[in-house]
Amino acid sequence: MIESIGRNTIGLINGVGMFGRFSARTVATSCASLLQPKTYPLIWLQMYNIGVKSVGVVMVTGAFVGMILAIQGYDQLHSMGLEERMGLLINISVVKELGPVLVAVMLAGRVGGALTAELGTMNVTEQIAAVESMGTDPVKYLVAPRVIACLLLTPVLIVYADMLGILGGYFEGVIQHKINSAAYWNYSAHGVELWDIGVGLTKGFFFGAAIATIGCYKGFNCKEGAQGVGQACTEAFVASFIAILAINYTFVVVAKAIYDTFWIGESLL
Amino acid sequence: MESDNNIPVISVKELVKRFGSRLVLDGISIDIEKGKTTAIIGPSGCGKTVLMKHMIALERPTSGSVYFKDHRIDNLSQKQLAGIRANYGFLFQGGALFDSLTVFENIIFPIRQRRKIKNFKEIEELVKSKLALVGLDGFQTQYPANLSGGQKKRVALARAIALDPKVILYDEPTTGLDPLRSDIINELILKLQRELSVTSIVVTHDMNSAFKIADRILMLHEGKIIADGDADYIRSHPDSIVQQFIKGTVGEAELAALRQAGTRTRT
Ligand SMILES: Nc1ncnc2c1ncn2[C@@H]1O[C@H](COP(=O)(O)OP(=O)(O)OP(=O)(O)O)[C@@H](O)[C@H]1O
Ligand SMILES: [Mg+2]
Repeated sequence: MIESIGRNTIGLINGVGMFGRFSARTVATSCASLLQPKTYPLIWLQMYNIGVKSVGVVMVTGAFVGMILAIQGYDQLHSMGLEERMGLLINISVVKELGPVLVAVMLAGRVGGALTAELGTMNVTEQIAAVESMGTDPVKYLVAPRVIACLLLTPVLIVYADMLGILGGYFEGVIQHKINSAAYWNYSAHGVELWDIGVGLTKGFFFGAAIATIGCYKGFNCKEGAQGVGQACTEAFVASFIAILAINYTFVVVAKAIYDTFWIGESLL
Repeated sequence: MESDNNIPVISVKELVKRFGSRLVLDGISIDIEKGKTTAIIGPSGCGKTVLMKHMIALERPTSGSVYFKDHRIDNLSQKQLAGIRANYGFLFQGGALFDSLTVFENIIFPIRQRRKIKNFKEIEELVKSKLALVGLDGFQTQYPANLSGGQKKRVALARAIALDPKVILYDEPTTGLDPLRSDIINELILKLQRELSVTSIVVTHDMNSAFKIADRILMLHEGKIIADGDADYIRSHPDSIVQQFIKGTVGEAELAALRQAGTRTRT
């Protein structure tokens, strides 16, 4: 009993250490890659795979979030006669929290899973060893382009989700529930600051980097066989999901502290 | 230059490798001479692939050391190894072709990683000639998924020799090929040795191939080298394990085990 707890603890610490080393190598290699135009085609290819193909699903996610917030919020606010402020409620939730987090979760499933499965299969069939045997660093060739692409594109995808979320809320609130359009936008504009949008997008960089790094790490350390690859994908998704929540929490705490000390409310418009 | 010929190309010293508690290699020492073909034989699962991967630092020893010429390589980082690995070609047991790339792109991969390709025509010619060597010219635009097992193996071989490496490690080059193809591969290995004085290390189960191509044969058994010499020496080796292996006959103990295990479950 105690023995097994001990073994698990050692295993966990080992895993964290290995992941730490892998991440450090990834960061160093990615920074170096950004300075080498030779690697740009690889990054472009991954940007297409990761980004362009995710736009649709991310926009749908955003639109539904906006609409649902509007439906749920309307009755509450209407009973207090505050429905004109609904724009503020919806837009700030979408821009600051729901947009970034839901996009990240979406990507953890769509992109993270694909990364793990691809690299895991390459690992099992010795393709990663083959890259290595030809004198190319697999982290540089396989991991860095994926991490860079994911890191750069997650904020962009968040912008799309935010836009559609805002439009979705507008559609439900103004068009379906006949809230006064000018008032709706006015409250939104006064409430949502540049800071909020900035925080939301900055989170995106971290989410993107975390999803890709975890996905690649799990792929690189995947066990033999179809079952091994499947298991690695599941583990990658769970780990990414937890990482997203943890990063988000840290961000909220840190951002709030910074805001309270430094920001001198400069509102949009 | 003269001294360069005397030092072994690859040198393995007191190599021990464990996976968890399983001891796979138990104190192996070998020096591989320049320009010679060395065959490594041994029963399935005895650690031939693992030994070969140590020679290019794809696996790291539990203890002991590995040298390329006079550089110690087993403790180098990925970056430091890049230059050394340019001297090697490695044929993986399973081929390890990149399945997102075509045959053509697979073969130019090692070239593309080394230098910027300027003269595309020249590269096309090179790929054509390497594929012709393994009898697969015309397959340039195919993806590995569309090739048979033996064809994949041959494309992988073409990729391994694409850069005219000085040292080529072949992991079972003839397994899964028909007898005629196998012999073509044997001739290819001999040709590379004669014309480019390549140093080859060949892991194989195919004794005909080993006797034909090898200047020296090593037999690995339970983590140790139990026989080491030229073809004639191995043929007349006194050890019964070696004799059984090269003749492909089953020992009394295995036969008894077979007899014990019924082929049908009685009801
Ligand atoms: N990465 C690894 N992790 C754990 N065990 C391993 C690993 N690689 C190899 N082994 C073990 O080492 C032993 C030797 O494997 P190896 O692949 O070298 O055999 P082999 O001699 O090449 O066999 P074959 O002729 O069938 O290819 C096997 O028992 C295998 O289970
Ligand atoms: Mg093997």
